[in-house]
Amino acid sequence: MILRKQFSIFALTALLFTSWVNSPAQARDSFLDIKEVTSESGITAWLVEDHSIPIIALSFAFKDAGAAQDEPEKQGLAQLASNTLDEGAGNITSEEFQKELRDLAITLRYNSGRDHFEGELKTLTKNSDRAFELLALSITEPRFDEAPLARMIAANQSRIRRSQSDPEWMAARLLNDKAYSNHPYAQNSGGTLSSLSALTANDLREFTSARLAKNNLVISVAGDITADELKTRLDSVFGNLQDTATLKSVPDTEIQNQGKIFLHDRDIPQTVIQISQPGISRHHPDYQIAQVMNFVLGSSGFGSRLTEEIREKRGLTYGIYSYFTDHNHAQSLSISTSTQNSNVSDMLNLIKQEWTKLANEPISNTELSNAQSYLTGALPLSMTSTKQITDLLLSIQLDGLPITYLDDRNAKLNAVTVDDVQNLASKLLNTDQWTTVLVGPSAALESSGVAVDETIATLPNVE
Amino acid sequence: MTQSFTLPLPLRILSILCLCLILTFSAQAQDTEPPKVFNAEYYTLDNGMEVVVIPNHRVPVVTHMVWYRVGAADEPAGKSGIAHFLEHLLFKGSENLEPGEFSKIVRSLGGRDNAFTAHDYTAYFQSIAVEHLETVMKMESGRMRDLAVPENEVLSERKVILEERSQRTDNDPSGRFGEYLNAALYINHPYGIPVIGWRQEMEALSHKDAYDFYNQYYGPNNAILIVSGDVTGDQVLELAKKHYGRHKPVEITKRNFPKVPQLDGAAKITHSHPSIRQSQYQQIFRVPSYRINESDALTLEVIEDILGGGATSRLYKELVVEQKIATSAGLYYDPNRWSDAQFVLYATPAPNVDMETIEKAMEDELRKFVVFGVTDEELSDAISRLQAAAIYARDSVRGPAMIIGRGMITGSSLESIETWPRDIGTVTAENIKTVAKRYFDPDNSNIRTVTGYLLPEEKPETTQDNGDAP
Repeated sequence: MILRKQFSIFALTALLFTSWVNSPAQARDSFLDIKEVTSESGITAWLVEDHSIPIIALSFAFKDAGAAQDEPEKQGLAQLASNTLDEGAGNITSEEFQKELRDLAITLRYNSGRDHFEGELKTLTKNSDRAFELLALSITEPRFDEAPLARMIAANQSRIRRSQSDPEWMAARLLNDKAYSNHPYAQNSGGTLSSLSALTANDLREFTSARLAKNNLVISVAGDITADELKTRLDSVFGNLQDTATLKSVPDTEIQNQGKIFLHDRDIPQTVIQISQPGISRHHPDYQIAQVMNFVLGSSGFGSRLTEEIREKRGLTYGIYSYFTDHNHAQSLSISTSTQNSNVSDMLNLIKQEWTKLANEPISNTELSNAQSYLTGALPLSMTSTKQITDLLLSIQLDGLPITYLDDRNAKLNAVTVDDVQNLASKLLNTDQWTTVLVGPSAALESSGVAVDETIATLPNVE
Repeated sequence: MTQSFTLPLPLRILSILCLCLILTFSAQAQDTEPPKVFNAEYYTLDNGMEVVVIPNHRVPVVTHMVWYRVGAADEPAGKSGIAHFLEHLLFKGSENLEPGEFSKIVRSLGGRDNAFTAHDYTAYFQSIAVEHLETVMKMESGRMRDLAVPENEVLSERKVILEERSQRTDNDPSGRFGEYLNAALYINHPYGIPVIGWRQEMEALSHKDAYDFYNQYYGPNNAILIVSGDVTGDQVLELAKKHYGRHKPVEITKRNFPKVPQLDGAAKITHSHPSIRQSQYQQIFRVPSYRINESDALTLEVIEDILGGGATSRLYKELVVEQKIATSAGLYYDPNRWSDAQFVLYATPAPNVDMETIEKAMEDELRKFVVFGVTDEELSDAISRLQAAAIYARDSVRGPAMIIGRGMITGSSLESIETWPRDIGTVTAENIKTVAKRYFDPDNSNIRTVTGYLLPEEKPETTQDNGDAP
């Protein structure tokens, strides 16, 4: 254990390290001081050093190792792996492992998305030796003992059952099923009640031996660690991973079932509405234009057209948002909202109106400059903690964007013109391409004039 | 462990800049001043407004917050939801600002803003680049005493809060379940009324109701300004004097929450609903907040950690790991309340396990606590955990403002918040036994508890073919 020198509180507060975000007043080339660090064995990480707080955060991912790799009959495998990698490793049982994490105030957890399999580590500097040891063990020697495995399966099944009284969850389940029809993205990434029961420790071992490797590993680090220290840690934690992952290829897909409205019948006072249409990739040269367009449309809440027309003026909803999703193999622009059952028809028409207006008429100069001002100015708000920094960096890496991405981003946003937005909106926004999902009472919706194409009584990939 | 069961860290989590000081603290002489967690600076304006500044120079941003010491618990009878409704209306027109303009201006400057209402307080905040602090302060000060909401905005926003009630509560039976439990626990007490309000009362809230409430409670001497981020105390004080200093104090309405009537018998609420597929168990006790009894509240925080704080806690180990009668189990306690707080025990029963089994297991764990207390190791581990986990709170701009705000607005001094890690370290095993016995001894029939079962609806019995020929 490394003994640290004693500081007094006053000495520490007196040490004002340069803020890690370069404010506009400082004319520097880079927005954020990111270093690319490579260990002796060739493992790379992005690092933002900050020694003003004794915390180290590490966000990492195994690219393409997520739920889309799960076989249909093994839905939830990636999810279960994320729940069991921290339930015992090496000679340490699940209870002991959890107790050590808690006693040393170490955060170590995993999270599986549709595309990627992610992990995070957060530790106080003084416990970093043990933190990195536990991380290494969890990746390379997870135990997958029977009792914790059964417990995690049961916990997931409880979660699924609880979700079945949550209309927003149900809408998302149905939308994924319809928008990504015939594609692995349509699967339930959290598993089904029956598929989870069938998963075994062998499945989990196959998961780790296939999907976790050096060649799909991406790492971002921030906090109280130097580049040299990090190099050593990278090798000690990840050095024993196999070189190459074995991943099946996942095809690209368009949004399916465009133009259709699906209903899951539920007796509730408020209908949940979710809509998806084709979107745009973060790699597309027009991506920043799309961000500006979406700010005007609905991503920012207050100040956006959807919130202005539907919530502010008419009081029809507590929340309406539009957002882009950029998965590896599908891109979408989506809406999420809810309203009293009798207002659903009006709501859909109002959203369509805003879609059409934005597609056909240029935005104003004020709308443009407000969007640019927000999108450029708000970035530091996503950098106010060590973990926020690592999450931000990781997302840039996972999208295959360069280390200079943040440096160029503001200039690109500020270069967007009203014409750019108009050109993109006219190509992208198309209400005929909407795949719409409603969760609400069919009788009430029918009688208020909502034309449903198909009613789904039982949600797919739940049981 | 599973992601969906992230348990809240004790709400008074704080940070210490140097861990060594925590470790060596107990060995230090009594007359040494304890280290402060945030090194926050404190001022009072002439008009009574309190000002707290938390410097943090890692990023050139600030979080600017105003906390009002008024919430749902202060509402007049029959006007439930007015405190929360007023919070919405503060965005709908004020000094020199059109309805909705406040948030639009914040956005256009690259900032984010929001607000929230609880039983004891209402808070408004913006996070923004430090160069715009004065702008948001001016706007926030403008709506402290100069609300200007048109009548039609009141009507349309009333629809919005009804939609909010639908989304958060009416659409999901577990939301309603929570309301019933609170109502049963806090009989004859305003905490028993939901912050969002009862629907039929919400539907009747008027412009006048909002203004009456606003004029009575929104004043500088009923508010705390907190600024966290890339600022110094002097900078903030100067701006605060300029923008908030101009307001005159209001008459403070004294809070008088009714006493708990002595009711016989525990309350049990059973709520069934056809959409429920996963039953839930909850059991609540009334316990003191920091304000009511600081020493007991500190002890309760340690108890919370040992009894119900995560995968290493007693409830989880016994119900989930050993007996396998639940898929999750734990305990939640928020000590930052003006009046009585709650100890909330919860469990998700495993399939085919009935509620009575869960209830008995909970009772056994509580009894063990009361009779045997905790081991020295459990105690010291819990204290270490609480103190060490507290460090992370410093790793945020908004976090410290929230922690200090929630504490001070519910009656804690800034000083007690700053010395929390030291204070939590003074809790003893004896304290734990005494406090457990006083507040949740299952064999003391004078301690009233509310137990809730949230259940699937019972299926009608299918007729059995008993083999008799027709």
